[in-house]
Amino acid sequence: MFPSLSSRHRTLAKMSGANGKKGPSSGVMDWISSACRFATDRNDFRRNLLVNLGLFAAGVWVARNLSDFDLMSPQPVT
Amino acid sequence: MLDTNCSRRMGSVLAASSPNPPPPAPGTAAAPGLTVPPGFGMPPVSPVIPPTGATSGQQQEAENPLPNPGAFDECHRKCKEVFPMQMEGVRMVVNKGISNHFQVNHTVLLSTSGDSSYRFGSTYVGSKQTGPAEFFPVMVGDMDNSGSLNAQIIHQISSRIRSKLAFQTQQHKFVNWQGDAEFRGEDFTATITFGNPDVLVGSGIVVTHYLQSITPALALGGELVYHRRPGEEGSVMSLVGRYTGSNYIATLTLGSAGAHASYYHKANDQLQLGVEFEASSRMQDTSVSFGYQLDVPKANLQFKGSVDSNWIVGATLEKKLLPLPLSLVLCSFLNHRKNKFQCGFGVTIG
Repeated sequence: MFPSLSSRHRTLAKMSGANGKKGPSSGVMDWISSACRFATDRNDFRRNLLVNLGLFAAGVWVARNLSDFDLMSPQPVT
Repeated sequence: MLDTNCSRRMGSVLAASSPNPPPPAPGTAAAPGLTVPPGFGMPPVSPVIPPTGATSGQQQEAENPLPNPGAFDECHRKCKEVFPMQMEGVRMVVNKGISNHFQVNHTVLLSTSGDSSYRFGSTYVGSKQTGPAEFFPVMVGDMDNSGSLNAQIIHQISSRIRSKLAFQTQQHKFVNWQGDAEFRGEDFTATITFGNPDVLVGSGIVVTHYLQSITPALALGGELVYHRRPGEEGSVMSLVGRYTGSNYIATLTLGSAGAHASYYHKANDQLQLGVEFEASSRMQDTSVSFGYQLDVPKANLQFKGSVDSNWIVGATLEKKLLPLPLSLVLCSFLNHRKNKFQCGFGVTIG
């Protein structure tokens, strides 16, 4: 009727790893996955606000630091 | 005229932090027959009496008064002008100057998504000159083939007060009528606008703006909108702050309806960039747009491009076909999310 303790223990051991701890790579992958879901979920207003504020700050940084083009300068001689 | 107005009202971006003129060299003799009252300075073309210590502070203040911050509506304008304007279909505009004061224009718009139309417009500029390129009164109007009218009358009542009346009709029915008065002080601007006032029904909208220069670079202000109709009335308030740097303008508007932030950056004479952030608490939506404007005067070419957080990419190209009085405009907008494409082509003659 009930799953045996040994099989339950085996299941838990599989889920948490042989020594009971998650591997660092799986933790990082989980964090990256959750960050991607956070960034692409458009149903949450606060999340949209944070993402767009970050994009605004990035746009301001690009405008201030990566716009030193001089289109009228002479072409370099190759 | 509009560009001169813009630079005059906003203050030249590049000169916003220009250094104070150096004090005159001590011992400089005044021009014969010329005396300078204490506390006042003279323009650098004439030698001046060097100021004493007690009056140097007053002279500093007299030479560097706080500038007028410009109109409230123009706080975000510099950034908005960088972005391309969406256009769809084929447009042909013919401008014809009848005299120094009067000009007419014909606009034919052929569209696939909406109705094609013809508009006749006219502009009258009076002879009362108030500035280098400002003449009043100004009357602008246009009417389309269905009889819908747009008209504006702008007049400078006094040296500090400017008024405007605007009307808009849909065929024979008035849909929008408003009047406003703007007062420009030494270091502030105040505006009051009455929108669609209807004394019989008891409805209307009143909008008041106030913008104050705190420092030569910082201006703070607010907007109050009061609306009323039978059985309902309400008000909305928002605050605005604008900081003008050596080659940038940062503006922030905060209110109960949402927030609007814009950053304008002039990289050089050819390249200008703009970043805009808008958040609406009512619509529960936010968006960010990045745009740039490329000017190549030698090629008589202007290119504007933009990309925003709604996955809309757009661009416009404007080229003057000198020596002909022709200007060509190409426009293209792509909405990747909705998989929609819009293209426009325009020719302006005159």
